Amino acid sequence: MNRWNRAAAAARRAAAWLLPAGRREWVAAIWAEAYEVPPGLARLAWRAGGAWVIARQALLPRRLGRAAVFAAAAGAAAWAAWPQPTVGHAAVSQFHVIATVLLLAGLPLLSRRFFGPPSPSRAGRFLRVFCCAAVLALMPALAIVEAFANLTPAQPAYRYVFCIAQGWSNVQGCTGVPGRSTGGPAWAGEIPLILMTVAYLGVILFLTSRRSRVTRGTLAIGAGTGLLFGVVMYAVAPLGLSNDATDPWLPGSAADPLVALAWILLIGGPAATAVLATRRGRGPGGAALPRNVRIGQGIAAGVLANATAALFVSALGFSTTALMLRSPWLLHWLNHGQHLTAIAAYRYEIIAGADTNVYPLMLIWFPVIGLIMSALGAACTSLGRPAPRELTPVPATPGNQ
Amino acid sequence: MTSSPGFSAQTLSVLAALCDEPSQWQHGYALAKQTGLKSGTLYPILIRLADRGLVEACWQDEPEPGRPRRHLYRLTAAGLASAAEARARAARPKAARAARTPTVRGTVVGVLP
Repeated sequence: MNRWNRAAAAARRAAAWLLPAGRREWVAAIWAEAYEVPPGLARLAWRAGGAWVIARQALLPRRLGRAAVFAAAAGAAAWAAWPQPTVGHAAVSQFHVIATVLLLAGLPLLSRRFFGPPSPSRAGRFLRVFCCAAVLALMPALAIVEAFANLTPAQPAYRYVFCIAQGWSNVQGCTGVPGRSTGGPAWAGEIPLILMTVAYLGVILFLTSRRSRVTRGTLAIGAGTGLLFGVVMYAVAPLGLSNDATDPWLPGSAADPLVALAWILLIGGPAATAVLATRRGRGPGGAALPRNVRIGQGIAAGVLANATAALFVSALGFSTTALMLRSPWLLHWLNHGQHLTAIAAYRYEIIAGADTNVYPLMLIWFPVIGLIMSALGAACTSLGRPAPRELTPVPATPGNQ
Repeated sequence: MTSSPGFSAQTLSVLAALCDEPSQWQHGYALAKQTGLKSGTLYPILIRLADRGLVEACWQDEPEPGRPRRHLYRLTAAGLASAAEARARAARPKAARAARTPTVRGTVVGVLP
């Protein structure tokens, strides 16, 4: 064995320590087999393949990569959402950041323990990543919008606009220390928000786990319909629902067809997905599913559709509003062609901030509507249609051979 | 644990190579030559198949003088069943095509003078 071979063997032994114990013998196997490969480039290529196996098994395992990406994203979102001590109810906001990150990190582990590993479908993976990304995006956006919406302006003219947006008829009853954000979320508002996060994460983790028995087709139908509905809703309500600060790109009646489509998708989308998922109700290998399981597939598709849409529009809507509050260029781009005075811009911003209150309502009611409509759709389809036949091979007979 | 129905083309080629002589232990290099796969592709497949209980592995008892012991592989009973199922699944569309083709050809031939 020459010097190079000894060095390569030593490097291989050292690298093998990076692997779990059960994998080390495989690296030894590749190295031992290299002696059967003709010397020269072929043997070098064989060993390079071995190094690649070590890298894949040890240095680039998917779980490690995913954990690193999640840690980076969660860290960035927490940094952006971390409230200043001067912000009202800073402790509640800090609790929100910590609790959300812990939920995102811990619930998938609990889900694996109780619901089994994730479904191997692409739609299932997409839904998990999408849900995590949406919750992370909501965290800083919510913090920025809340801090701005509760910041009492110092100048009297601005205070008047602020108090009107807060729902007061004048500045008399509108309290607050000028120049400070004295409001913000209280515990009474924080607890439902955390419960809603738990509900969304829990439902999506359960439906995309293997033990839930939700098929790949159902996940794909639910996710696809939800994304379509979410895009339409975002086009309708990019800055909350209001006559004052909405549809910067579709002013006036130009938004009407999309509003009609949004209503159709809200009510009819879950019913249609439920019908589709119930009709397609087949398990792995094309096996027919029992009636109650097919109804479950339909309901899962409908709930997923509306939950996905609510998350999509809330995350994007809150983020657009937060970006507008931080970036004057976006405010002017959204109001292109208008001459905005400083107080008009403030009025626009404070109304947009207040209008984001509609997104939590969407997060609550969209899945409920999805549940009701999909249950109706699945029940009607299942009652009016016999169970699909088993896909069994045709027995060989003299006539069809 | 049984296999999942969806094997990649490379995994199917490894299963096919191991199926040729299912009772014989085979070496990694021989499998690489049979399948045309590089070591960086072949071994992850063997590792996955072994993890699923479809392939069993052992070390050579008596190595050749001056050579390290080699790792040997063969299919387990579950691996044989999975390989047979995967082969049947892969062959099914071909069978369907083969069944249709004579009909079409026969029609064409029948039309021709």
